[in-house]
Amino acid sequence: MLAKLNQCTSGLWADAAHKLWFPDQASTYAAESDSTYSMILWVSIMFFVPLMIVMGYFVLKYKKAKGGKATSRLRHHNGLEITWTVVPCIFLVIMFVRGSWGYLDMSIPPEGARQVDVTAYKWAWSMDYGNGAIHPELHVVLDQPTKMVMRSTDVLHSFFVPAFRIKRDIVPGRYNIAWFEATMASEKISDEELAVILADHKESGDKQWDYDRHQVTEDGYRYFDLFCAEYCGQDHSTMQSYVVVHETQEDLDQWIKKISSRGETPPAEYGEKLYKLRNCVGCHSLEANKIVVGPSFHNLFGYDRELATGEKVLGDEQYIRESILDPKAKVVNGFNPQMPSFKGQLSDDDINSLIAFIKQQSDRGSTAADLAEEKSADEKAADAAE
Amino acid sequence: MASGAVPQVSGRDAGFVSDSENYLKNSSGVLSWACTLDHKRIGIMYLVGILASFLGGGLLAMAIRAHLMSPDGALFEDNNTYNQIFTLHGAIMVFLFIIPSIPAALGNFMVPVMLGAKDVAFPRLNLSSFYLWVGGAIFFVGALLMNGLDTGWTFYTPYSTSTDTSVVMATLGAFILGFSSIFTGLNFIVTINTMRPPGMTWFRMPLFLWATYATSIIQVLATPVLGITLLLLIAEKTMHIGIFDPEFNGDPVTFQHFFWFYSHPAVYIMILPAFGVISEIVSVHSHKGIFGYRFIAYSSIALALLSFLVWGHHMFTSGMSHVTVIVFSALTFTVSVPSAIKVFNWVATMYKGAISLTTPMCYALSFLFLFTIGGLTGLFLGTISTDLHLHDTYFVVAHFHYVMMGGTVIAFVGGLFHWWPKMSGKMFNEAWGRVSAVVVFIGFNMTFFPQFLLGNQGMPRRYASYDPEFAWLHQLSSIGAFTLGIGLLIAGLVLLHSIFNGKQAPANPWGGATLEWHCTSPPPFFNFKNPPAVGDPYEFDNVEYDSATDNYVFTDLPRERVPEKTPESTPASAGGQS
Ligand code: HEM
Ligand SMILES: [Cu+2]
Repeated sequence: MLAKLNQCTSGLWADAAHKLWFPDQASTYAAESDSTYSMILWVSIMFFVPLMIVMGYFVLKYKKAKGGKATSRLRHHNGLEITWTVVPCIFLVIMFVRGSWGYLDMSIPPEGARQVDVTAYKWAWSMDYGNGAIHPELHVVLDQPTKMVMRSTDVLHSFFVPAFRIKRDIVPGRYNIAWFEATMASEKISDEELAVILADHKESGDKQWDYDRHQVTEDGYRYFDLFCAEYCGQDHSTMQSYVVVHETQEDLDQWIKKISSRGETPPAEYGEKLYKLRNCVGCHSLEANKIVVGPSFHNLFGYDRELATGEKVLGDEQYIRESILDPKAKVVNGFNPQMPSFKGQLSDDDINSLIAFIKQQSDRGSTAADLAEEKSADEKAADAAE
Repeated sequence: MASGAVPQVSGRDAGFVSDSENYLKNSSGVLSWACTLDHKRIGIMYLVGILASFLGGGLLAMAIRAHLMSPDGALFEDNNTYNQIFTLHGAIMVFLFIIPSIPAALGNFMVPVMLGAKDVAFPRLNLSSFYLWVGGAIFFVGALLMNGLDTGWTFYTPYSTSTDTSVVMATLGAFILGFSSIFTGLNFIVTINTMRPPGMTWFRMPLFLWATYATSIIQVLATPVLGITLLLLIAEKTMHIGIFDPEFNGDPVTFQHFFWFYSHPAVYIMILPAFGVISEIVSVHSHKGIFGYRFIAYSSIALALLSFLVWGHHMFTSGMSHVTVIVFSALTFTVSVPSAIKVFNWVATMYKGAISLTTPMCYALSFLFLFTIGGLTGLFLGTISTDLHLHDTYFVVAHFHYVMMGGTVIAFVGGLFHWWPKMSGKMFNEAWGRVSAVVVFIGFNMTFFPQFLLGNQGMPRRYASYDPEFAWLHQLSSIGAFTLGIGLLIAGLVLLHSIFNGKQAPANPWGGATLEWHCTSPPPFFNFKNPPAVGDPYEFDNVEYDSATDNYVFTDLPRERVPEKTPESTPASAGGQS
């Protein structure tokens, strides 16, 4: 009977169900998970519907005016009671076994899986592809298992991609591992379409990339949603990322190359990009009096700030660098030591670029910023000369 | 009439209790309530307290649903406010309302009466447990007024040890509430063990008493674990002792184990008393003995014990070892068997009964529908592979609301209607009572059914804003929530109205056979003049309707006093021996 139910499930049901009930089945184990779901659903319906019909029938049939008497004194029936204890048990065992089977599949990564190091922090993601290529989006290759080694720098988070039917908590102080193999590639839109979207983005003020609005990544790929599923504080609900599945390894490599270095971009401009990519923007505004979570970057450079300890400290390069790598060392008065450390996540060049960008936000930064700019130009010239 | 208050005389209802005996009127003044040792008055005070909490928690729920009308959040400026609102909603509903709802309010009132006792074993402990509840509530309100609370009701570390909201104050509140819960549990255990009148053997106890007894066992055994956990949390937060917070070499998953080791059994503190209420309602309003009495009684105890073994199913995704996960999944399935048995039993009870579709019965039918859905959807969460997708999504939110709200709260409201004539001495408006049951049923399904679909599609819980594709289901759910709110409001108005305009209630308006229907409505101060005659609590043959007084009377009393097994001696404290 179960086999039959399942057949029915995978045919007629599957089509209707996936649009209405589930997101795409985009990983190797999504289908198995959904079919287990459908099995439980059918078993439940098989119990629920007859039970409710019987109940409704009893109510109508045995409804009596006040003072009426029950016509039966039946108080127990061993056969019945044993049947309705044993029969559900059989179904429960089937569910348990299927669920555990599926779980083992989903939890033990196959050998040779490609590794991505995932760091979750309040309230963003960074995916480390090795060699300093770090990006908030998760990019993987079609039909290739990917194993994620995940850590959190602050509180509990949880990695959740509905289309892959995968979820795994990220526990600070531990490495939790998850893996999946994507079976559905992300479409890449044409360059013309992308150009239109990029223009639209520029028009809307060049803020952080708005995925919901554009429905593609900045590189023109469609994507799967990646959520944080464990409550992690203020902006838990905005802690989203996006998964792009590339058709081929070359395609992915190309993308990684594109994001992995600054190239010719001037430091301050690259710093601005990092400010958005690494989600500094989630906590630090650029406006004078607007406080999101942490202090604003406006006039940070070159001005004194008061620390929680009562000391004063000058906002210089050293201070900014320290605040990025060891945020708890000097906490500004009135703020929580909430910021995660970016140690190991930002290269020296990245930090310099960020400092250059932060200088731009200060009226005392310009001269120094010019200097830095010049210096790096000098260095380049020297490099070129070699 | 006073001497006939215990209707052992056959024929007509003995009449109404006189004001001097009636527990509501035998003394007056604020102090006579505030310092009362009468379990009935304490029950009423609890009732007022938890209904106020329910109102508060309910208004917060409406605020949540209003906010979620739009993907970017329609009500609150910033996410912080939303986070505090859902935290308080959960914490108030769980700690202040649902855990004490049936045991402390209805139970305090009904347990001694149904048992045929004069009072609970420790009346002073009982009063102090009420004031502990008030104390805990004050801490909660204090936390709200100080810095708010934004950890979720689960207080997961390390978020709770690092946020600067009033975690310490709120956990102290929960700690104090824990004592209140333990005291109530202890009191019931001792009461039921020692104060049964002659003839009241274990298997002549109404199922509500079995349910309360099983609940009390959990309260006494599990709540201390919560107390310890909360103290450790406070120590961690203030002294960084390094148990839960990785920054000081602790492990957050340890906290989850501790927390759910209390909180999963607590789920059964919430639902077992509801099972008891439903057993009473279904049987009395079908005028037929409950089907499978012993099965239901044993399964209550089985659930109480099994509930200690399944806490790990809240943590399938947290990174426990594979063996642990699989073992917890297997154990989880074992708890679904006793719950399923009860549902079958309730439906079977109605077979060839004489069903009255009264307000309490409408709520009980609603319970059977909703709780069954709640229980069945638990299967999707107990099955590991599907839980990995559904965990911490709206599917879980829908599941536990079907169980806790569709189960416990509906049973509580049904029980309130069922015992209202007894407690207040007034009959309520039946027509409007039934309207409230129908509106609540419709509103409930409209609120929570869409949330299953949201969960399937991957909408995580505890989100202040969401992707636009989830909007229509959220909006449907919000509209349902307002409908549900209106339904509950109607129920409240029906009860309030009855206090001022209700007909005087007869002793036995529904035709029940358990002891509380033997004493007048409202009960006299001492419940029973003499130890009542105890027979089968579900024997309806000698309960006859008397249309002249609109009351049910017991015909062939006095009933047999010979117990199944004669106790050696009557406990000194047994009911009625003043
Ligand atoms: C009998 C009354 C029940 C109540 C009052 C209840 C209540 C709850 C609550 C409050 C949660 C949410 C915890 C959170 O905040 O994450 C929950 C989750 C859960 N329940 Fe139940 N439940 C009941 C019955 C069941 C049954 C019969 C099963 C399984 C057969 C079950 C399986 C689960 C599982 C596995 C979870 C964890 C799901 C997850 O977080 O992914 N429950 N339940
Ligand atoms: Cu998070």
